[in-house]
Amino acid sequence: MSSGGTNGASQASKKNSKKPKYSRFTQQDLPACKPILTPGWVITAFLSIGLVFIPIGLASLFASEHVVEIVDRYDEDCIPSNSASERLTYIQSTETNKTCIRNLIVPKKMKQPIYVYYQLDNFYQNHRRYVKSRSDLQLRSKEYERDTKTCEPERAHENEPIVPCGLVAWSLFNDTYGFSLNNKILQVNKKDIAWKSDKEHKFGSEVYPKNFQKGPLIGGGKLNESQPLSEQEDLIVWMRTAALPTFRKLYGKIEDDLEANEKITVVIQNNYNTYSFGGNKNLVLSTTSWIGGKNDFLGKAYIAVGGFCLFIVIGFILMYVIKPRPLGDPAFLSWNQNPDGHLN
Amino acid sequence: MAEKGVESKRLKEVTSLVRKGARRITLSIGDGANDVSMIQAAHVGVGISGQEGMQAVMASDFSIAQFRFLTDLLLVHGRWSYHRICKVVTYFFYKNLTFTLTQFWFTFQTGFSGQRFYDDWFQSLYNVIFTALPVIVFGLFDKDVSASLSRKYPELYKEGIRNTFFKWRVVGIWAFFAIYQSLVLHYFVLAPTSSGINSSGKMFGLWDVSTMAFTCIVVTVNLRLLMMCNTITRWHYISVGGSILAWFIFVFIYSGVALPKAQENIYFVIYVLMSTVCFYLTLLLVPIAALLCDFVYQGVQRWFFPYDYQIIQEIHRHEPDNSRVGLLEIGNELSQDEARSFAIAQLPGQKSKHTGFAFDSPGYESFFASQAGVFVPQRAWDVARRASMKSRAKTPRKN
Repeated sequence: MSSGGTNGASQASKKNSKKPKYSRFTQQDLPACKPILTPGWVITAFLSIGLVFIPIGLASLFASEHVVEIVDRYDEDCIPSNSASERLTYIQSTETNKTCIRNLIVPKKMKQPIYVYYQLDNFYQNHRRYVKSRSDLQLRSKEYERDTKTCEPERAHENEPIVPCGLVAWSLFNDTYGFSLNNKILQVNKKDIAWKSDKEHKFGSEVYPKNFQKGPLIGGGKLNESQPLSEQEDLIVWMRTAALPTFRKLYGKIEDDLEANEKITVVIQNNYNTYSFGGNKNLVLSTTSWIGGKNDFLGKAYIAVGGFCLFIVIGFILMYVIKPRPLGDPAFLSWNQNPDGHLN
Repeated sequence: MAEKGVESKRLKEVTSLVRKGARRITLSIGDGANDVSMIQAAHVGVGISGQEGMQAVMASDFSIAQFRFLTDLLLVHGRWSYHRICKVVTYFFYKNLTFTLTQFWFTFQTGFSGQRFYDDWFQSLYNVIFTALPVIVFGLFDKDVSASLSRKYPELYKEGIRNTFFKWRVVGIWAFFAIYQSLVLHYFVLAPTSSGINSSGKMFGLWDVSTMAFTCIVVTVNLRLLMMCNTITRWHYISVGGSILAWFIFVFIYSGVALPKAQENIYFVIYVLMSTVCFYLTLLLVPIAALLCDFVYQGVQRWFFPYDYQIIQEIHRHEPDNSRVGLLEIGNELSQDEARSFAIAQLPGQKSKHTGFAFDSPGYESFFASQAGVFVPQRAWDVARRASMKSRAKTPRKN
């Protein structure tokens, strides 16, 4: 029903009026603000964004620039031969000596704590079947030990459930790193590398590994069966599946300062097999700042967006000056512009 | 089309001829039983409820109480409805396209294995809770220009006739911005997570990143709605703010409880996220970077290629909001034409169908109107006026 226009006639027939009860909501009469995008608003908006973003970007970039990072790819150099089949035999055998010595030069002074990461490339921890292949219930508490349905194919060994089951746990990374400086060993603190919520809630303190890596195919590291899962921080870190195929995971932290140009000797046990699928392994040492590790992206993005906004401000000012249009000029109405306006 | 006393079959034939032969959108209006077939034959049938009974009303798509309400039906409500429907439909597709494309870009990085980027509950509730209410509120309340301006500028109606707001070009532009925004939302969220995320060097996992991305999407899409509103009532603030708040409340609860029978992907994720500076920096950067191009486009479009309703908004931007003089009430100012037609409607000849009136001619309107106590502005041909003009100097009349 539409009613509208003049209504003076209703005075005579007010008692029989069918006029609906007036309410601002139903008559769409609510007080409203009617924003109009005038040039003033456009310029103000972009200017304020630019002025807020550029300092934030500069601060982020400054923090990120202060982070010192050493990245060393070692999987190519730590394997003795070049032929693919020989590599596989080497890496899969338990008898070969997998020790590899690497030397790293510290580019700038690094203040402790220095975080040690391992970085894998081309490893799809975000593959659907891989992400699915775990049982959080089992990890959390002993009573769900048999809840391994989602863990195919790593469910059970000789009819006994594997704890922790699934491909994610089975492929646990097991390279180890030992650091020394001028023949003095640098201790690597492997405590507190996992998120606290994981340690306290997702991994039970009464769940112990069982039947782990007992099958014919060994996918990664072995676990200490006398330690409960909530203390196995390497496993906890590994099981937080990464988002991208190139990812880093925290290995430990070195709590000594490193001066510039010092030579660090790293003893790597090159156990993990990334050769069968063409993955890379890197060792990363990095300091952190309030913004995290070395990540220029946020700083650069803020500066780029802020700079773009300021550029747009200048562009719009030029546009408004060169091609002005008086605000609310009826001459721009389409029917005034085509005076012989035909109906479509 | 409205006719009195014509046979209904004839009315229907004429309507169908125009509808099919000339291929126009037809509207027919009538109040009697003879109009029913015509009302049904046209695209839009309007029935007038009144003296001839309710048959026309029952057969019609819209019914009104008086013939003169047709102007409001078309120029005000019809136009608003067109404007609202176009915007609601294009916005709906835009928000789903943006959301889905962020998942799509992720498939390139999962080895095309089909791993979802978002948790199941997030995906299901996206359209139900987190982005649903604002677009409904927009569809109910948005007015590009007020009712009185719609009546004042009937040429605005041509926007609907020319299908200005739902052409392929319009849809294409929305789609382009959806693609651009999804790229920004996806890559800007993933890029900072490649190294340690806070000062204790820990790393984010898949579900942390996806929750961060989802938060950014909900904020971006809701802010985009505010950008497209012409009138912003308090319900807009409530629904947009409420949707974003609902998201946070939901994710606080969802990540806070350990669901006994489900994969605990999202357990504690939001609390982990909110303990890092990176989350807040990303939440500030990403929606603004995503909406930046939209805003530039709107600024350029509004300046160089303004729609008619935008110009009219600008012309009348300083007028006080007289929406209190709404559609049901009237201030005491009738325009000249309205006063005239009201007064004519009071004339005996108009009030009753069944009596003609010998002096039912334009010349005597002002005379009879004054007899009825109603003032009608005089016209040049008024007999009564001419009679009273004995020797008055001719004043140039601007008409």
